Amino acid sequence: MAQWQEVQSLANTYLEQVHQLYAGSALPMAVRQSLAAWIESQNWRQAAEPLCSQARMLFHSLLVVLGERLGSLGSDREDFMLKHNLRKAHRDLQAEFEEKPETFANLVANLLQEERRILRLGQAGEQEGSAPAPSPAPESGREQQIQQRLGDFHRALQEAERAFRHLEDLQDAFDFCFKVHYRPDGERNSDPEYIQELKSLQDKLQNLHRQRQEVLALMQQLLRRSETLQELLQQELGGWRARQQRQCLGGPGDTNLRPLETWFTELGQGLFQLRQLLRALGELRQKVTYARDPLVTETPLLEQRLQEQLTHLLRSAFVVEQQPSTPNAAKRPLVLRTAGKFSARARLLVRLHDRNHRMEARIHIDRDPPNIRGFRRFNILTSSSKTLLAGDSPQEGLICDFQYLTLKEQKDSRAGKGKGGGGEGPLVVTEELHLITFTLAYAYCGLELELEATTLPFVIISNNNQFSSAWASILWFNMLSSDPKAQQFFSSPPPAPWPRLAEVLSWQFQSVAERGLSRDNLLMLAKKLLGSKPSLDSTVAWSKFSKDSGSGFSFWAWLDGILGLLQEHLKQLWKKGLILGFVSHKQKEKLLKCKRSGTFLLRFSETVLGGVTFTWVEHPETGPPIFHAVEPYTASELVSLALPDIIRDYHMSMEEKNPENPLKFLYPNIARDEAFGPFYSQRMEGNLSDSQKYLNRRLIRVSSRPPNRRQTEEELVVATQDLQMLQLQPRGQGTQQPGGLPWPQPLGTLQVTPGNVGTPQGVTMTPGTLQVTPGNVGTPQGVTVTPGTLQVTPGNVGTPQGVTMTPGTLQVTPGNLGTPQGVTMTPGTLQPRGLGMLQPQPQSLEPPQVASGVPNFQGTLQVAPGAVGTVQVLPGGLRGDSGTLLGTVAVSSGTLPAEQGTLPAELRDLELLPGGRDMQELLQSLQELEPGLEAAGLMPDVVPTLEESFQLSPGSAALLDQHDPFLPQPEDSVLPIVPSLFTDFPPLHIDPSDFQ
Amino acid sequence: MGQTSGRQERNKKPEVAPSEIMEAEIEVQNTKEETKDVKAKNQKLTSVFGLADLKNEAIGLYNLGQSCCLNSLLQVFLMNIHFTRILRRITVPPSPAQRRNNVPYQMLLLLEKMQCGKCKAVGPTDLACCLSEHRVELFVQHDAAQLFLTLWNLLKKQMKKPVEELSDLYTICIQEHLACQKCSFEVKNNSTMLTLPLPVLDANSHRLKTLEDCLQYFFHPEELTGQNMCFCQQCGRKTTFLQSMKLVHLPQTLALHLKRFCFERSSRTQKLSLHLPFPQELDLREILTESQCQADDSEKGTWQFELFAVVAHSGLSSCGHYCAYIRSLTDCKWYCFNDSEVCQVSWDDVKCTYGHSNLYWRETAYLLFYMKKHPQQPWPGVSECL
Repeated sequence: MAQWQEVQSLANTYLEQVHQLYAGSALPMAVRQSLAAWIESQNWRQAAEPLCSQARMLFHSLLVVLGERLGSLGSDREDFMLKHNLRKAHRDLQAEFEEKPETFANLVANLLQEERRILRLGQAGEQEGSAPAPSPAPESGREQQIQQRLGDFHRALQEAERAFRHLEDLQDAFDFCFKVHYRPDGERNSDPEYIQELKSLQDKLQNLHRQRQEVLALMQQLLRRSETLQELLQQELGGWRARQQRQCLGGPGDTNLRPLETWFTELGQGLFQLRQLLRALGELRQKVTYARDPLVTETPLLEQRLQEQLTHLLRSAFVVEQQPSTPNAAKRPLVLRTAGKFSARARLLVRLHDRNHRMEARIHIDRDPPNIRGFRRFNILTSSSKTLLAGDSPQEGLICDFQYLTLKEQKDSRAGKGKGGGGEGPLVVTEELHLITFTLAYAYCGLELELEATTLPFVIISNNNQFSSAWASILWFNMLSSDPKAQQFFSSPPPAPWPRLAEVLSWQFQSVAERGLSRDNLLMLAKKLLGSKPSLDSTVAWSKFSKDSGSGFSFWAWLDGILGLLQEHLKQLWKKGLILGFVSHKQKEKLLKCKRSGTFLLRFSETVLGGVTFTWVEHPETGPPIFHAVEPYTASELVSLALPDIIRDYHMSMEEKNPENPLKFLYPNIARDEAFGPFYSQRMEGNLSDSQKYLNRRLIRVSSRPPNRRQTEEELVVATQDLQMLQLQPRGQGTQQPGGLPWPQPLGTLQVTPGNVGTPQGVTMTPGTLQVTPGNVGTPQGVTVTPGTLQVTPGNVGTPQGVTMTPGTLQVTPGNLGTPQGVTMTPGTLQPRGLGMLQPQPQSLEPPQVASGVPNFQGTLQVAPGAVGTVQVLPGGLRGDSGTLLGTVAVSSGTLPAEQGTLPAELRDLELLPGGRDMQELLQSLQELEPGLEAAGLMPDVVPTLEESFQLSPGSAALLDQHDPFLPQPEDSVLPIVPSLFTDFPPLHIDPSDFQ
Repeated sequence: MGQTSGRQERNKKPEVAPSEIMEAEIEVQNTKEETKDVKAKNQKLTSVFGLADLKNEAIGLYNLGQSCCLNSLLQVFLMNIHFTRILRRITVPPSPAQRRNNVPYQMLLLLEKMQCGKCKAVGPTDLACCLSEHRVELFVQHDAAQLFLTLWNLLKKQMKKPVEELSDLYTICIQEHLACQKCSFEVKNNSTMLTLPLPVLDANSHRLKTLEDCLQYFFHPEELTGQNMCFCQQCGRKTTFLQSMKLVHLPQTLALHLKRFCFERSSRTQKLSLHLPFPQELDLREILTESQCQADDSEKGTWQFELFAVVAHSGLSSCGHYCAYIRSLTDCKWYCFNDSEVCQVSWDDVKCTYGHSNLYWRETAYLLFYMKKHPQQPWPGVSECL
């Protein structure tokens, strides 16, 4: 808005001041008003300087413009007065200032200046008057400030350029006069005219001198402005660097370089312009100089100052935009693998370059290697130089983008590190920090500089299993060091203040699963790291964080295991906050104690790497609340069955009770299905009338609990509903627990698909009824596959209702160890309508011998008298099987050496087809050995191996050793009870009432 | 005059003391002024009174040739309303020749010229000529701290009447203690200073981090051992002394001199451009310990200061340029006085004079002027301290 317009819109008190200003002024307000725009666009200040011809010119122009204005006024009545006033002013001005236009120029300049002052006051007053404006966010406030300053800077630059051109004119005029008039030979020394000219020449020089000073002062002011501006920009850049460092750690923050690039470029442009101006000033000095020429003394100073500033700007403007990272290491940059590809990018924020000059950028790795013994040296295998790309569109900026870089270790420089050689350095590989330096030979407008930018330190690993601890190093460094060149950081890594560490850990969860750690989570972690009384001043040592603390894994490894689990399987649950996560044993009981029965919470295991578990509370009618915790699930289990489904279908079977899902309410008080409903996998709701080829199936988890035990942790998978598929995920740890079932440790899952399980045809099962509730375990599969259940729930062998199997049709796959098939297939024993005849009639029962080609399964089937036998599948590729008939008590507890429990990967999911050789053998053997089989007899070659591979551990007995006196022998199927050995085991009861 | 000159004798010490760069060039002026000591006419320049101060807009001063240092200091003087209040009450010398050579009078004329002329800038030619009469050479690059002292001494000497107020306005009273470490012998010595010459490096050439650190270091007691041992009258031999300084009184306008130079072995003076932040508000009660003060509570109550002016230098020790950042006492805004060019600036701009260890040509603060926030009225005279 024009100044005069602004003045008129001022508040009354200030308008009064304006009136006073013009009351005694030689310039009437009418003229000011009529010619407002013209007056404001002239440079009165400059004209006011003595001996300036401009003043006269301006004065006359004013009179002319005024005359024009008079002529343009119509004959309206309103204009009449104005016309009169203007005419009078024209006359008065001419009379008063004709001879002294400089005074007039000065007068106008002062009036305008005074107006501006009043305007400032008035506007300041208004701002104060209006309610305190909502202060903008500090971010945008700073941005605004920079924008505004950039604007000011450019305006001042233009002003300086104008002043410079004026100076040029003055100098030309002086130069001309000097050459024309000055006669040093002194022939006209007495000539009064010459003296007059000399005086005028002197005045002109004086004027020139003043203008030179003026221009210099403007330049100084410009430099000062740019210095402040640069200071602000450096602060912004520092903020950006910190944000980038944070973002590398997964923290929040905007790392867009665009605004910085714009600002740096604008400032750079201004400074280069100023540089041009200074050079031109130097040229002026070449033409005319005199004693005490300010250009002589001041210009070099200004040049130095400008040069220094420009250099500083450019040096800081070369930044690493993208820190070295491999393409697939999602959200974890700065960890590189030897021979793996990675990329890094640097950018010059001052987007000024000479199109004709190719600027080359180079990269070096560890240009100044730290003096650390055993420090590995690397070569960049790919090309290490690149022409700086200008980018075709100006938006792209000046970037040097290095992609597909690979590193190779310099073998010779490394004295056998990692191979146990003597050259072992003090730092492990994952604590060794490396740097890449970008250099750029910058040249623009005659300025040549070598610019340099250094990446953040990164870790080079050679194996993926180092990835986690490498990342821990990156976390630690970037959390605590802001000096990117501190490659010796891990020689004595500083401890981390807990609040800082907590924040960074929270970012890890945020970036993996979009939800950070809550205060309670952090408190638990703090207690874990710092003991029971963590405070805000506590610090965590690097070794405490990353090194094995005796529990087999470090704090970080534990946490990273959980992060991995979240990433793979639990992202959604974590994001929705359904996993309470980090809750200590004590805390979880405190939380659950006052909740109603069936309230459960999900937490991460503290003993298992990457395990999640749930704990629920049960309030018995008397006594204190009971807390049950299921054994932690790890990725290997969750990969086949998602946690929400586990929770939905989880069952607890208890003595004399129907198994039910104890998980009813998610802590604090959300109905289970409400919380997890959205995450259940879709259930195929089919019914039998559908022409489906297969029945639906579903996996559930069940824990069982012997009556005398408070808590059990073993779990089973039992196929229910359709019983078409069985999955087995036995857990190894149950074995260790007294009273728990001795489970072998086949870690894989056995799947029996309908195709190889005993054809559903012929099996007239009603899916609904076949549940593994005590009393109606009819499913042979259930029996066979989960031998344990039979032991624990004594009644569940009974009533195989709906099992109408014809032996011939049932095919057993080794995978599910068809003991039941054995049962069903022995025609004499199994009758339609189930095992109602489970009276102890050993002779009528055929020990179901199941040959199994599945090495990864070992279980015991224990059956009540009259029920079936024991099936054991041995690891190691043994076709082991032995049937035993237990007389009255099922006794089993087999322990396998751990290594035997693990399967080779390819055997994890083993499916055997019915037509397989094992099958044939089995069937054959079954036929052959109908009356009282002996395992050894069935497969003689197997037994010795069995004996070898089984070890007996005290307190538990392994089956399958036929010489073991405690094992039932085929001949005498009724054995005495040996309670002393199996005290932990509940005797098996079969109550006839259970069966019907 | 006898009385006056007597005080001058005593005050001579601080004039020489504050910094190494000062030369003893004061004696000459002493004798010179005696001759001009004619009866004061007590004539006031009535014309200078009145509305001049109301339109106290910042006006530039033309550079007469290397006069940026003088210009900056003049602005610091003339923007200080406490000073101009004194200046307006000076006794005008009777004869034109005396007037021409009277520094306070010329300064007053300059002030009037600046405030009446309504020009963008004025040339301090007359004052400069007057100063050159007093051996302040024209067209020479001066050291601002030195020139400030010279100017002040000239003012004080030539100002007849309100000279005590002038002293009160600027002089710092300190008490020097020299205590023999062998016996209890102690020498106390009151003295006055115009500026506190603050080192920016400590004895081991480590940089001091902030202005507060510099002040603490300045008042830190120093043990004089080895070559620096003093003769103890009581012990009768040279012994180790503990030298300490106690602050007695601080003036309305407190001048701090940052000793941003070091002498290398080559005897060349090197400028130290290192980063040294200074606060806008300075409370000396918080900086100094109880033992470093020798003042009562009412005196200490006034030791809260606000930054008033910064005289900044850009360039190297041999050549460079001065400018002044001054916070106007009337509108409380910062202005940058760069010879004829005056512009309003912000605190961010002033902060740029903190210095930067890698940028040698940048402006760095050299003299700092702090103004008391709550002046005690009337100010206790320097005479009371001595």
